[in-house]
Amino acid sequence: MPASVETVQRYLRCLACCFVLLLSVSSQAQDDDADEAANYSRKGADSCFACHDDQVTLAVFRTAHAVPGDPRSPFGHKQLQCESCHGPGGDHAGRVRRGQERPPVVMFGSDAATPVAEQNSYCVACHDSETGLGWHGSAHDDDTVACADCHTSHAARDPVLSETSQAEVCFGCHQQQRTQSRKPYAHPVDDGNMACSSCHDTHGAMHDMQLIRQTLNQTCYDCHAETRGPFLWEHEPVAEDCSNCHDPHGSNHPGMLTQRGPMLCQGCHSQSGHPSLPQDASGLPSEAPSQYLLGQNCMNCHSQVHGSNHPSGSKLMR
Amino acid sequence: MRANQHSLLIAALVIASPMAAAEVDTSEWLCESCPFESGYRADYEAGVAVVSDDAARFGNGNGFEEDGTYPVLSGEGHLTRDEYQLTWSLENLGVDSRAAVISGGQQGRYGFSFGYRELPYRLFDTTQSVFGQNASGVLTLPSNWVFAGNTGSMSALASSLRDSSIESDRRILDAGGHWLVDDRWQFVADYRRQNKEGIDIVAGAGFTQSSLLPRVHDYETDQIDLAVRYRLPQGGVTLAWYGSYFTNKNDALTWETPFGSFPGAERQSMAQEPDNEFQQLSLSGHYRFTPWNSTVAVSLASGSGEQNQAFLPYTVNANIAAAALPRSSLNGSVDTRNMALTWTARPLTALRFKAAYRYDERDNTTPQSDWTRVIVDIVDSGDVEQNTPYSFERTSMKVSAELKLFDHWRVGAGYDYKALDRDFQEVAEQTEDTGWGQARWRPVGWADLRLRGGTSRRDIDRYDTTVAQSLGQNPLLRKYNLAYRYREFLEFKASASLPNVPLSLSATLYETDDSYTRSVLGLTDAEESRATLDLGWTISERASAYLMVGTEDIEANQLGSARFADADWRASHDDRFEHFGIGISLERLAEKLDLRLDYTRGNGDSSIGVDTDSNGPNPLPDLNSTLDSLRLEASYRWSERLELSSTLRFEQFSADDWALEGVNPNTLPTILTLDADPYDYDVWFFSLAFRYHFGEREIRLAD
Repeated sequence: MPASVETVQRYLRCLACCFVLLLSVSSQAQDDDADEAANYSRKGADSCFACHDDQVTLAVFRTAHAVPGDPRSPFGHKQLQCESCHGPGGDHAGRVRRGQERPPVVMFGSDAATPVAEQNSYCVACHDSETGLGWHGSAHDDDTVACADCHTSHAARDPVLSETSQAEVCFGCHQQQRTQSRKPYAHPVDDGNMACSSCHDTHGAMHDMQLIRQTLNQTCYDCHAETRGPFLWEHEPVAEDCSNCHDPHGSNHPGMLTQRGPMLCQGCHSQSGHPSLPQDASGLPSEAPSQYLLGQNCMNCHSQVHGSNHPSGSKLMR
Repeated sequence: MRANQHSLLIAALVIASPMAAAEVDTSEWLCESCPFESGYRADYEAGVAVVSDDAARFGNGNGFEEDGTYPVLSGEGHLTRDEYQLTWSLENLGVDSRAAVISGGQQGRYGFSFGYRELPYRLFDTTQSVFGQNASGVLTLPSNWVFAGNTGSMSALASSLRDSSIESDRRILDAGGHWLVDDRWQFVADYRRQNKEGIDIVAGAGFTQSSLLPRVHDYETDQIDLAVRYRLPQGGVTLAWYGSYFTNKNDALTWETPFGSFPGAERQSMAQEPDNEFQQLSLSGHYRFTPWNSTVAVSLASGSGEQNQAFLPYTVNANIAAAALPRSSLNGSVDTRNMALTWTARPLTALRFKAAYRYDERDNTTPQSDWTRVIVDIVDSGDVEQNTPYSFERTSMKVSAELKLFDHWRVGAGYDYKALDRDFQEVAEQTEDTGWGQARWRPVGWADLRLRGGTSRRDIDRYDTTVAQSLGQNPLLRKYNLAYRYREFLEFKASASLPNVPLSLSATLYETDDSYTRSVLGLTDAEESRATLDLGWTISERASAYLMVGTEDIEANQLGSARFADADWRASHDDRFEHFGIGISLERLAEKLDLRLDYTRGNGDSSIGVDTDSNGPNPLPDLNSTLDSLRLEASYRWSERLELSSTLRFEQFSADDWALEGVNPNTLPTILTLDADPYDYDVWFFSLAFRYHFGEREIRLAD
């Protein structure tokens, strides 16, 4: 413990020195000629639709963004219509000389020329309540993920908001989790019968792994409340962390266990009177079938692995 | 200079966006061409699906587990009148994965939603059992059952086996709403009822024998989320309450033992999962500060869980005069406390900084009592045991910084500290220090490379072998979640969207190497490698193709002792999984036909090598599984309103699993199993449906 405190202090000193050094090197925060007067278009959306009249663009009128009765909507009363999100478009909509490139507006997505931080600031300006608490400093924020990388704001049905199509969006970046979801034992995420957001708050909850509840176990109990207890006889790693035994993204083993029994159990149990016997090929049906290896292995008897509430259940058999 | 302009613009937008709208002269912004939606539009789909064969795994999650025909019924619709909206969605109404959701409200004022969803869980459809269930829920044996001490002598076994699928259905009812009082106040409420009903497998253990039982379970969980949010110009505060109430409609499972029974133990009993409840109050908020462009976020939560289900007796064996229970119910209680504080800042345009603190506590205040166990309804152990209510406190602190260098580089470093304090376990105090560094290089706008790596050391104050010995454990064993561990990890990501070439490429690599060097017995080392490669090809505006590959390899070694001393056997694990996918999508062929073809292959392979001092190496056969899935979807636009859609799917799955293969109900002399088989199926699926569209399909600019 004392060694760890020293390590913390060492790291903090190091970070503080770097920080002071950087502050002294660059203090050019302010910019005198910063904000040029924003040049908005003359007629708002009517200017835009003179060119942008394709179905993909117009589909925004089937979304919450284009509800004039909602004063918060970009198309609400006195709002800036297309330019609420795409920024001032006066130069873009204005005349350009032949051969001259039309000045860009704010465009969305990681591949867009507009910096991701600037893109996201337009979204967060209205959607602050959805993203405010844990977005800043979240894994998505650290990775400069653009809101538009996940959200299709011009679609009548944003795929990431639908349980059936959400995983396909998430797996675009979380490719390793996509591979895991196709293991023989996995939650039905890949089929669209369960959403990533069933467990994860993708806008950055302050919880580990951006889970929807405060801890991993509390998140699992949302659907598996039967394992919550407290039980009379608890199985200590279960109460602490479900992932001690389960891999929630998928496994080669039944029950999404991290390893095949009985070896998984033998990683923690080597009891006198109930020795930790090696289970090799001699325990297969063709030789001397072993009750410790076949069927449910240890759970052939100790099936109450999540805990038992039976007065005689201390060995998790009742 | 340009970067500074960006940051100021962003800050100005975030802080004062509503003002920006107010300052622009929009008097001529009439939006005359805007095609605002009003009225009704909907799509409804009806047809038929055919499934060629029974296969539990194929039907897991979707409900198509049996051969035959199924109705295809789906639809969705939307009704708009000014800012009032109503949306509904109907999915898979003809099968056990049906879902229906209706939501609506006045946008900007209030909203509501009601939903119903079923999620089928299909585990085995080849299982057989000798047990029936009487009106009291007792698992009973056939009247002509011949009792025997081992399964091989149960002469009525073969004739008594009846099909007993292991499956369940989860039904979720959901109702929720929100109310925006004004720009600042918002109320949110959500209620969910989950019902899970079906049959799973539990072991009905006897003294030296056991029966795998097809247990009927019927769980119900009610969950309520309530929240009130207050929005500030530079932040917000949320006060929330969460309640979860679990009810098990079966308190006990009683079964007739098929083995030659001890007097009075013809029937045995076990407790089912007890009713329990959990409530949590949380307060969270964030605030943005102009200095250093900082954001501070705080979350505080306090919860309480209770369980007070009436106990079953020590035994149902009337011949045993068991002691009186020390209490009639547990009066179990767990208090949870969670705190989190995060500070993120951008003191300079090029510098990001983050510090985070988190505290999680599970305080199990369940009273301890002395218990006298009756061993599997057969014999009073005579031992006095105390229940151990486990508690823990988990603290973590993280600091990290990232610096943008030149135009193309971002480098970062961080330090994470975790501490875990427990009681009643071998390790009371455990800490973990992690240091990491990362670099991100974006040499050009279309390419991005990231590298992250570091080490962590999990240390413990001491492994208390007296606790281990009091539990009868080998004192040399180190439980893997409590043991000293040194970890090295490395992560690499690369992505590129080539300019002027319609190709995109992304690849990831993840490696960890764990050493448990102080463990004499137990897990000694583990390695995990994951890699993926994705290739996308935009052939044209209406055609695209992809290829994806993913692999994972988890290796681990452990030591065990059969003689309750030092190691006399070793096991090595190697879990490999490869995934491959390829597909093509073609839209509006001849302006009428959409096609999509996907092929997926998943191959799992697990090797377990076991080497003993007495017999030498004698590895278990590999556990294999292979999934091949081909899916062709076609949609033909018959007319402006009518569409014909069809899906052809072929799925082949085969598995080798020594835990199930050749394990018949009488294979194990002392365990009566359920005759489950490894998955092995070929299934064809075909559906044909008509989809009719109501309302305007095309969106046209207003005249």
